[in-house]
Amino acid sequence: MVKCTINGQPVEVPPGTSIIEAFKMVEQDIAHYCWHPGLSVAGVCRLCMVEIQGNPRLQIACNTAVLEGMVISNQSELVKDAVKWGLDFHLINHPLDCPICDQAGECGLQDQYMKFGRYDSEMGQEKVKKNKVVDLGEKIVLDSERCILCSRCVRFTEEVSKTNELGIFNRGDHSEIGTFDGRPLNNPYAVNTVDICPVGALTSKDFRFRQRVWFLSDKPSICTGCSTGCSVDVYHNKEGLWRVKPRHSEVNGYWMCDHGREIYKSTNVTVTEFVGERDHKKALKKQNRLIEAKFVSKGQSDYRPTVEMLQELKAKIDKTKKLALVLTGQYTVEEYDTLLTYWVSHFCKDSIYHWQNHPEKADEFDGLLIRGDKNPNTQGLKKVLLKHNVTAKKEFSDFSSFDYVIVASPENQWVYDDIHQKALSFNKAQNVVWLSAGLLPEVENMGHNSYFIPVKTFAEKSGTFINFEGREQRFEKVDLFVEQALSLSEMARILDGQPVHLDSVNEVARVQNEFVHLRGQL
Amino acid sequence: MEIKLLTEHYQDDQYRTLPGYKAKGGYETLSKAFKMKPEEIVNEVKASGLRGRGGAGFPTGMKWSFLPNNGETRYLLCNADEGEPCTFKDRMMMERAPHQLIEGMIISAFAINSPKSYIYIRGEYVYAAKVVKKAIDEAYEAGFLGKNIMGTGFTHDMDIYLGAGAYICGEETGMISSLEGLKGQPKLKPPFPAVQGYLKKPTIVNNVETLAAVKYIIRDGAAAYKKYGSEKSPGTKLFSVAGDVNKPGNYELPLGYKMIDLINNECGGMKNGKKLKAVIPGGTSAPILNAAEVEKATLDYECLAQMGTMLGSGSIVIMDETRCMVDMLKVISHFYHHESCGQCTPCREGTGWLSKLVNGIFEGKAQLKDIDLLCEVANKMKGKTICALSDAAALPVLGIVPKFRDEFEFYIREGYSKIKGKSHGQMHH
Amino acid sequence: MSIIRVQPPKISRVWYLPGILSGMLFTFKVMLKNLFNKKKMATLNYPEEKYEYSPRFKGNHVLTVKADGEIRCTACMLCATACPADCITIVASEDEDPTVEKYPINYEIDMLRCVFCGYCEEACPVDAIRMGPEWQTPGVNGDNFVYDIKQLAYRPNLNSGQGIPSVVDDKERHQLGI
Repeated sequence: MVKCTINGQPVEVPPGTSIIEAFKMVEQDIAHYCWHPGLSVAGVCRLCMVEIQGNPRLQIACNTAVLEGMVISNQSELVKDAVKWGLDFHLINHPLDCPICDQAGECGLQDQYMKFGRYDSEMGQEKVKKNKVVDLGEKIVLDSERCILCSRCVRFTEEVSKTNELGIFNRGDHSEIGTFDGRPLNNPYAVNTVDICPVGALTSKDFRFRQRVWFLSDKPSICTGCSTGCSVDVYHNKEGLWRVKPRHSEVNGYWMCDHGREIYKSTNVTVTEFVGERDHKKALKKQNRLIEAKFVSKGQSDYRPTVEMLQELKAKIDKTKKLALVLTGQYTVEEYDTLLTYWVSHFCKDSIYHWQNHPEKADEFDGLLIRGDKNPNTQGLKKVLLKHNVTAKKEFSDFSSFDYVIVASPENQWVYDDIHQKALSFNKAQNVVWLSAGLLPEVENMGHNSYFIPVKTFAEKSGTFINFEGREQRFEKVDLFVEQALSLSEMARILDGQPVHLDSVNEVARVQNEFVHLRGQL
Repeated sequence: MEIKLLTEHYQDDQYRTLPGYKAKGGYETLSKAFKMKPEEIVNEVKASGLRGRGGAGFPTGMKWSFLPNNGETRYLLCNADEGEPCTFKDRMMMERAPHQLIEGMIISAFAINSPKSYIYIRGEYVYAAKVVKKAIDEAYEAGFLGKNIMGTGFTHDMDIYLGAGAYICGEETGMISSLEGLKGQPKLKPPFPAVQGYLKKPTIVNNVETLAAVKYIIRDGAAAYKKYGSEKSPGTKLFSVAGDVNKPGNYELPLGYKMIDLINNECGGMKNGKKLKAVIPGGTSAPILNAAEVEKATLDYECLAQMGTMLGSGSIVIMDETRCMVDMLKVISHFYHHESCGQCTPCREGTGWLSKLVNGIFEGKAQLKDIDLLCEVANKMKGKTICALSDAAALPVLGIVPKFRDEFEFYIREGYSKIKGKSHGQMHH
Repeated sequence: MSIIRVQPPKISRVWYLPGILSGMLFTFKVMLKNLFNKKKMATLNYPEEKYEYSPRFKGNHVLTVKADGEIRCTACMLCATACPADCITIVASEDEDPTVEKYPINYEIDMLRCVFCGYCEEACPVDAIRMGPEWQTPGVNGDNFVYDIKQLAYRPNLNSGQGIPSVVDDKERHQLGI
């Protein structure tokens, strides 16, 4: 261990640690843009200046290793002045379009200006004009004027995704980020560049202009996109989830894949689509979630509150009926456990099926994060099945002799491309009970006796996922968006006749004053 | 008085060919060097006190001794990317005496045990590149390059590499990036090139003049070389003199020579009998000296450093009383704005800001407080970046503006140059 | 428990006669003043007579437009952020013109929630929302009070900027040094 002093505080760090890492370890503030813990050192922003006792010149903290007995400070007037001017150099050609910049509110320049700057700019000359709204591919838009050329995105494509799409073109203050020969930035990790961009130069098309970040709150969660189980932060407000960003952890480092960023969509009650041209553009809201329990038979739908529907089912299913339970790997360990405890004590053990999409691809791995098993909790399901001494069937036999087939259908439906074909085989039974978060329009239109019961998504419940390597990862509920949705545990308890406390949607949103709105009609 | 060591045979047209060079004792030093041990050569160079002639003036022998002994391939790079405005000493060397450089390089390569060297030539030096290439071919044919040189078992390959016209590729790490096929941008130090340079291998980068001087140090011995020049700056140095003198050109002088003597004697005095106004002593990136300071200045590293400027590459720009300093600064700051690689923020944005501020004076948009701002911006750019280009852009501002502040104030107040008067366009205002 | 005996008040206090009389006296005085000096009367005969408010009056919101009639608003949502009554709802979208980039496809103000504080005006960085002089804006139904983008920017009262100034030209602003 190497001993040094940071702003008067004695610190011990492992040899080879850079000064900026040491600052982060002791949670001291230090200005920086280009340095990122997951990338190599570029040393170009020149903001992380520190004063080292005995060294007449200021040094950058990111490229200087801590040596024994170093006395480091970034509190002196000399450093403060250097940082102030460093910021000013960043800002003189940076456009003042914060109001329409998506990064505003989580912008490195804004934060650091408030922390280290707070001066009046003396730049009275015209700013350099560069390209705006450059399409970099399916997912990302670039604004070169906002770019401060920290080169984080370039280093990301070089070092992490190893796809090398990005580069810096031209030189001096005409430098611009770009892609080689119009080749798009479409690698499966591309949106990470948006996360690491300290300014609003790279913006994600999926999130662009949808929300201002200060209207959103974030909560830690686990990605349900595949069996890697990346740690993520989920950004939400009362209307739903808006985006998913990676959270640093041992599992995923600082990154996540772009498929994982789609998982928020399964939780939202509605999906907004923009249609029409400029002046007639409209935001159309399409329903995306199952919001009520219903019984569909021969084209007739019968709506019922979920609890009532379950109690009705409870009366119908008993030991005399032939039952099947189909499970997918997209629910939590706790849910499997409660459901199986109930099932095993009431019904026959060999009526349980494990439905997995493409089991032959389950062991695929792209070398970074993406795995072939698109279920977050296959290992958890296996573990719980083992605990209850159940051997789940993977071969789907003929269901025609069954009275009820209960299907815990996948939350991320898009990874189960065999859902339609499977529904056909389940439909041979007398009744099918679909436990589903999303809508199943194809299945509904089959005109079979089907119950559709809304379940909670990962954002609406707390629980544990076990990832590919057997790592148990606990996550907490973000918020409830569909009041009628229940978790599998809650359902199992209701079927078992146990008391259940259900939570309600936290409706702090403005409520229309019905009286006022009816007044004219009375 | 001039001492002709490196420039001795510049006038001889045959000197650039192998027979012509051999006739004047060429490649004899090489056989002498091969009889020495590599460490002896390094020690000799160290003893001579030779300092890098590219601009920074770092002791060459010391640089060589930084090489790690880890058995990795070592590279020798010759920096012939002479981009500093008004410098033309290396160009003359390559055009007039290429074998002198090649011989110096083989000796140096032998000293540091390097199997491969490159001469990185500035893109605009097409003719010089041709001459050097031809000389290399001749050397290969004569067995001075290639495998088992002169039966010593030492193998060395040499090649030239043409830059694409970027000033920053004259910076050693920028040059290495360019050689590696990357964008010519300086690299972060540490690691220094001597430890991890070209292709991440230990690399020594030396200027053309430095490598040529190595030949003379080995030929005559360190003691003989040290006879010239001053105590701390031994040896001779090439000076490229440009500007308002009667005889501009390349002069080889012992370090410590008086600047005023160079102007009055070697260069034949000021052109048209005008009065001396100012001198930029080491390429445009060196702070300017006014007439009074020129009287006292001697041409060596120490004296100029003491006067707040530097010897740099040894290009001396002499300006007479008709030269407008606002003009001068405009040209200089435009150059650095154009040449900044854009990597470090203070330089990328600062050079542009300086250039815009100076242009503002020309366009009549400036206010008096902009002069202070100009100095302040330059001050804050200094010493903040990976390479020295930021300093190179800042130093001329910090030299010219305080020394000729009245000219800047006059321009801002009146809208035209104090020295040149109203230009044609300004008459109408 | 203890009892506090309260003396019954005097007859003069119970009848409040002096108070009533002095009140009547004042009323009659004002009535007579108003009868003979109508100009100094403090009240108005609304709706026949209307009060003239100052030009700074903060009435119903107006979304200003550019010289070519397009809405100035860039959908930055600073007004919605500043709004203490949470009555502004904006849906933003992408414009094909890179100099505009972001624009609102819907902008709703719930006038019944609005407290007319003027923070939206203050927050706006592009002078896109102003509070106009209108204040008599009745509606038959509660829904009539949720103003949408068309109504805010192009309602007949504005008369394309002739009635209520709602056209803000950037060129003019630059000339005025704004």
